[in-house]
Amino acid sequence: MKDKLYKALVDATHNVLKLMLNVTEISDRPAVDFSCDDEVDIAIGIVGDFQGEVIYRFPVATSLNMVNIMSGMQFEEVDVFVTSAVSEIANIISGNVLTALSVDDVKCDILPPVQCKPDEDKEYDIKTSCYLNTAIGDICLTIRLNRA
Amino acid sequence: MLWKDQYELGVPSIDEQHKELFRRVESFLQALRSAGSWEEKAPRLNETLEFMKGYVVEHFRDEEEYQLSINYPGYEHHKQLHNGMVDYVLEVSEQYERSGNNEDLMQQFGGRLLAWLINHVAAEDQRIADYARKKG
Ligand SMILES: [Fe+2]
Ligand SMILES: [Fe+2]
Repeated sequence: MKDKLYKALVDATHNVLKLMLNVTEISDRPAVDFSCDDEVDIAIGIVGDFQGEVIYRFPVATSLNMVNIMSGMQFEEVDVFVTSAVSEIANIISGNVLTALSVDDVKCDILPPVQCKPDEDKEYDIKTSCYLNTAIGDICLTIRLNRA
Repeated sequence: MLWKDQYELGVPSIDEQHKELFRRVESFLQALRSAGSWEEKAPRLNETLEFMKGYVVEHFRDEEEYQLSINYPGYEHHKQLHNGMVDYVLEVSEQYERSGNNEDLMQQFGGRLLAWLINHVAAEDQRIADYARKKG
């Protein structure tokens, strides 16, 4: 299950970055290597057969790059607009992850995106993280779930 | 520019509408992100917002008719996605009016609309074109 989740998360992110931002240069690295102190953190809650969340950590530079590519405009700082656009991307990726899992008969729904702190840690049945290094910057993703 | 050729589906009638839709969203975003105080920007913003909203509804309707005309099997699901966005637009417009033109509400709406629209056109609408091509 853990490997499946990891793959679903990485694949969904690849697809969305390619489709929406034309970003194809992506490599995955060990999540422990990710470090960033100025980032936009978004949590997407998951309910259904599993309960938990997906946490997206987008460094400020990555967030601005994503919004600049989508809008064709120049954004210099993270504001409500940028946070909202990045949250919607997290929402889209999470939706695609659940669609991929539904093929294996795992039925879950996602909750609206919320800003969060990434470090609040509880115990989870399943938890996996990935660190993606892309042409528009780094991204760190964590999915953590309990069986309902 | 907001429109990118990579969003093209290869169905001329839909592509033309998407280009017009992106033009209208672009003028809305430009008004939203232009310099100046919110009070100064509000009249032009409201104008571009109405101009865009009208076309969103028109485009969704035409695209749904096109799906029916080719017996697109994902019609019901796709219509739900359109309805979800229309509901969201109406809800935000109401909240915005009630709040006395709160800027954050509109900025938040702009960011979400931008990402939603690009994904919808690049992923969901693409499926209609894929089906149309396969069907020949
Ligand atoms: Fe469309
Ligand atoms: Fe559509």
